[in-house]
Amino acid sequence: MAEFNVNLRGVGSVSVIDVKGYLDAHTAPELENIFNKLLDERQFKVVVNFNELKYISSAGLGVFMAYVETMRENKGDIKFSNMKENVYNIFDLLGFPILYEFYKEEKEAVHKFGDQG
Amino acid sequence: MRNQLKNIARSRGLENAILVSILLFLFNLIFPLHDTNILAIINELLVFLSVFLLYHYVHQFLNSKVDSPLTLVLNAGILAALIFFMVSIANSILGSPDSSKGIGFFNSLFSVLLIFVFIGSIVYIFSTFRELFFLRQKKDLSTFYNTMLVFFALSFFSNILILFDSSFDYPKDAFYVVTIVLICLNSTRVSWIAFLTKKQKYYLLIIAIILSALFGMNIATFTDNGIMRQIVYTFSPGLHTFMSLVMIYGTINFGIIFFTTLFHLPTAEAFDRKAEEVSSLMDLTNLITQVFDFKELAETITTITTRVCNSDSAWLVLKSAKNIELSSVHNIGYVDADKITNNLLGSGENDYDSIEIIQYDSIISNTNEGGQIFKSIAIAPLKVQKKINGYLFAARQRDNNFDQDEKKAVQAFADYAAVALENAKLIEESIEKERLEKELDVARDIQRKILPSTVPTSNRLEISALFVPAFEVGGDYYDFFELSNDLLGFVVADVSGKGISSAFIMAEVKGIFESLSKIITNPKELLIKANDTLKRSLDKRNFVTAIYGIINKKNGLLNFARAGHTPILICSGEKIESIQPPGIGLGLDYNTGFASSLKEMEIQLKNNDIIICYSDGITEAKNHKEEDFGYDRLDTIVLNNREKSLDLISNAVMKELSVFSKNHSQHDDITLVLFKWNQNN
Repeated sequence: MAEFNVNLRGVGSVSVIDVKGYLDAHTAPELENIFNKLLDERQFKVVVNFNELKYISSAGLGVFMAYVETMRENKGDIKFSNMKENVYNIFDLLGFPILYEFYKEEKEAVHKFGDQG
Repeated sequence: MRNQLKNIARSRGLENAILVSILLFLFNLIFPLHDTNILAIINELLVFLSVFLLYHYVHQFLNSKVDSPLTLVLNAGILAALIFFMVSIANSILGSPDSSKGIGFFNSLFSVLLIFVFIGSIVYIFSTFRELFFLRQKKDLSTFYNTMLVFFALSFFSNILILFDSSFDYPKDAFYVVTIVLICLNSTRVSWIAFLTKKQKYYLLIIAIILSALFGMNIATFTDNGIMRQIVYTFSPGLHTFMSLVMIYGTINFGIIFFTTLFHLPTAEAFDRKAEEVSSLMDLTNLITQVFDFKELAETITTITTRVCNSDSAWLVLKSAKNIELSSVHNIGYVDADKITNNLLGSGENDYDSIEIIQYDSIISNTNEGGQIFKSIAIAPLKVQKKINGYLFAARQRDNNFDQDEKKAVQAFADYAAVALENAKLIEESIEKERLEKELDVARDIQRKILPSTVPTSNRLEISALFVPAFEVGGDYYDFFELSNDLLGFVVADVSGKGISSAFIMAEVKGIFESLSKIITNPKELLIKANDTLKRSLDKRNFVTAIYGIINKKNGLLNFARAGHTPILICSGEKIESIQPPGIGLGLDYNTGFASSLKEMEIQLKNNDIIICYSDGITEAKNHKEEDFGYDRLDTIVLNNREKSLDLISNAVMKELSVFSKNHSQHDDITLVLFKWNQNN
């Protein structure tokens, strides 16, 4: 159990993080490492692709909360895309859709950054 | 017990030897001249007995000294020298033998005393040979030795035959020759030499050649017709034979020891190293079980490696998933060791699965940048169960390569380091585990004290609360507040995270709700205020979901707001409804987002309506297929059991839940708080 994979790729000026498997307290540090790397490289426009994520725990949610402020202060953001329904429900219950942008497709999310310039 | 017996035997041996010696002494005082055969035979027997008993005693005495063969050799040498000097001095003082000289009382006393010194020395020397013979022998060679002893005795007594007929001397000569042959054979047993250190071998080489010569000269003085020979021979021909045999034994034995040592010298160093390697490994084995700090052990390992493997420097690196870390160095700077390590391992293409020798020139073209220039480096992996945890390096500045034995030694030390490393890791893990368990105990204790021990009771409102903590302490919290006679406030919350940190937040959340509930009677306002308060203490990545509600016990009006928590279920008649007013979790947003999203709800309860508040520990419980327990199952259980008491409903939920998630540990706290409105009471 508890398998988790994270992959970082660039689409134009936007960084896309693919998350895969189970994101919980044990695997969250891997995702944090990626975010720290992005901060070091001053990449503030981030799309997280949830296509292959099966489960997210509160510790997993905490990772986004920890970094979103810095991203926004630097004219960037963290946007979510390709979320499965069960995962979306967890975000929804907590009220994330009020604070974060969710997109069906990664493309839309990336474009959204483009629109903002 | 056994030692006592031995001691007794030894003391008796001494007594016997002394007794016989005294007898011999008195006998010789009374009969200074053995002019009849009977006297001569008695004398010979007494001499033999005293030699035998003395030998028996000295042999037991020397047995305790076999650990230091050089001391034995040296003692024998000193006695041989003593004999030599006595003989020489006696020869020069007493002049040439004069058989016509009468043997007076004084003369005979002097000669008898002299003889006793001789007997003592010769017996001691002879015993020394015995000890040297049996030293480090693996096989039982006592037959060879005892045969020789028998021939010594035969040679001794064959002298008596000559007394009867002077032409009857061939048995004596025959025994004499056979004894010498046996001496030659037995003298080749000198395997103990191999176990001496190089220094000891040099020492022995010198002593052996001197002693061989000394014994040779003693033979000469005893066979040539000097005064001493005369004295000894007159005293006892057997003793004279025995003494010359021992002298021959000494000459041959030390001669052989000399040559053997000489031939052993070239291999002395290799032998020394091997011995050191073995003793080092033994030391290491002890260390491994005692030292918990790997760093300390690593220092020892590099030091020993340098010493045993004839290298100038040694260092040890640890390899983790990401990087290579220098653990300890010996005779080399950290910077240099790091540079060389990176050069050899940096590319990552060669993982040195087994020990390898690198000719340094072939790796780095420019070596004149650092202080030390190494010509040859041995790299041994630290392997445990096919996994490489690090490397041990041994480096030489000289040109000569590491040979097979040295390679094996480096690998042996690397293996030990690997085991020690694994040990240290396991110990660290078990300490960490213990610490974690203690921490969880504290967290559980905090949680137990925070949660209410009883639920409030009232006529119209039945209340039941069920709480099952998860092993790691999930952070669930619920509470009830008697606001007035009619109003009952309640909170069901879930702090994100686990363990001690969430337990502390939980304690804070309790304080916030307890104090705010007394001031603010509006659920929405209360949650907004709670969010503002939490801002000061909550970490960025932590949040709290909560439902705060107020039930009017007079009219059954429920007023509540939800901050990101799982929705409330209301079971009314045959219908069950999930009520999820908008609202984000506490701590997610400290701006206007929280307040603007939060909606309050008011519900008029009907008779027998059941309010169900729960934590996500129920809906997110997993089965073996990693499926969620979900909302539908919960709805169905409540509906099916709605006629029963609240406690029974709780039990039914818990029962289904444990059946569903059997073989699967409980990940999160489970909280289930139920209210039932009995309007008619």
